[in-house]
Amino acid sequence: MKIRLSHADGRPLYIQIMDEVRSGLVRGTLRPEDPLPSVRELSSSLRVNPRTVSQAYAALERDGVVRVRHGKGTFVAPGVRPDERERPRLAREVARRALADASRNGLALADLMTALREVEGGDPHRDGDGSKEGGQ
Amino acid sequence: MTDIANAALPINLGSGPFAVTTQGLAKRFGSVRALDGLDLQVPEGAVYVLVGPNGAGKSTLIRALMGLVRYETGTVSILGRDPADQGAEVRADIGYVPEDYRFGYAWMTVGRWLEHQAVYHPSWDAEYARELGKRYEIDPGRKCHTLSKGQSRRVQLVTALAHRPPLLLLDEPTDGLDHVVRDETLSILSEHLADSPTTVVISTHRVYEVEPLVDHVGVLSEGRLLGQLPRDELRGSLLRYWADVPEGWSGPGELGGRVVKRSGAARAIEWTVWGDRDAVTRGLSEAGAAVREVAPLSVDEAAVALLSETGRKAS
Repeated sequence: MKIRLSHADGRPLYIQIMDEVRSGLVRGTLRPEDPLPSVRELSSSLRVNPRTVSQAYAALERDGVVRVRHGKGTFVAPGVRPDERERPRLAREVARRALADASRNGLALADLMTALREVEGGDPHRDGDGSKEGGQ
Repeated sequence: MTDIANAALPINLGSGPFAVTTQGLAKRFGSVRALDGLDLQVPEGAVYVLVGPNGAGKSTLIRALMGLVRYETGTVSILGRDPADQGAEVRADIGYVPEDYRFGYAWMTVGRWLEHQAVYHPSWDAEYARELGKRYEIDPGRKCHTLSKGQSRRVQLVTALAHRPPLLLLDEPTDGLDHVVRDETLSILSEHLADSPTTVVISTHRVYEVEPLVDHVGVLSEGRLLGQLPRDELRGSLLRYWADVPEGWSGPGELGGRVVKRSGAARAIEWTVWGDRDAVTRGLSEAGAAVREVAPLSVDEAAVALLSETGRKAS
């Protein structure tokens, strides 16, 4: 499993680690009973305080996402159903960030929804398709 | 409107337990007050970063903690002992990376230097020292005074870490290191923290580098602490607010916080405010501002905001 952090992201690092684990479950790169990296390994590879990793793992354990087996390490909980809980939860988190970004740019929810559908549907007026906008 | 509430940043971290404290520490160099009544509190197990401009007193403070400078007034307690009385014992318990990168004697090889350190520190972990030496590509046959600044720093880091001390005092630990070795050093420090229970005080101008390791922040200016608090509290209460405001807006009467910095054009304003997030947001909204974003500051940004505020007050 590869965990990425962004130091430009305003969210605390332990929350980012939790969301990365959730994202691994939703994408299927992490499955029930899979081992997570040890606190030492993950803090070393991310160059963060080991307590930050412990904090993330403890919060994930409280949420029932992982289970700590003493002396063996941290594992994805056997009963995790990513589509029932982790997917909607992660989606809400992404939505919160998108809404905050929209609000910063002075956009309302309706603007964002319209634009999301257009972009998803490959609308020709979207940004990055400049040949049709600027070229003619 | 900049004097809405003059709530200072917290300086008192409570009742401890603390690995390091100073009370009313004062030191002059001639007419210059290097330390001006400093009350440092470093909780046990904390990774505490000291930030401040050149000449703020960071290195003098660290040297005072080591028992290497005499101070005029105040007290110092390091792991329950006073370095003025028990300097050698205190220093044996500290892993120290000094500001000065020279160490040892000109004739001495690096290998010999490390052997000396192993004798001086009873808890020296020879296997760990070898592992660090390998990761840092240290050549034990080199003479101490032929090393470059970066090579010296690596030896000093091995010297500080290899006895797994209960306290690390790191004065600009990554100074002189290239990008790859700096990154390796951060990885080594993360592993060290996972393996060995320790309290760390880091003084650095490269705060962004160590920020993910840090859980306490002390902002030092002219020998005094402007603030001393957990990183999470700084993140939660010193915030930047962006808002759109009407033309000719005069600002809120009461904001429920202390404005550290205010800038912006006619209709879009940015504040850096120390205070309760909800109360400040409410204060701005009630005065007619449309708050578009609230975001925490990095430790670097926080230090710049607080230190430039002090500069403005003084001028």
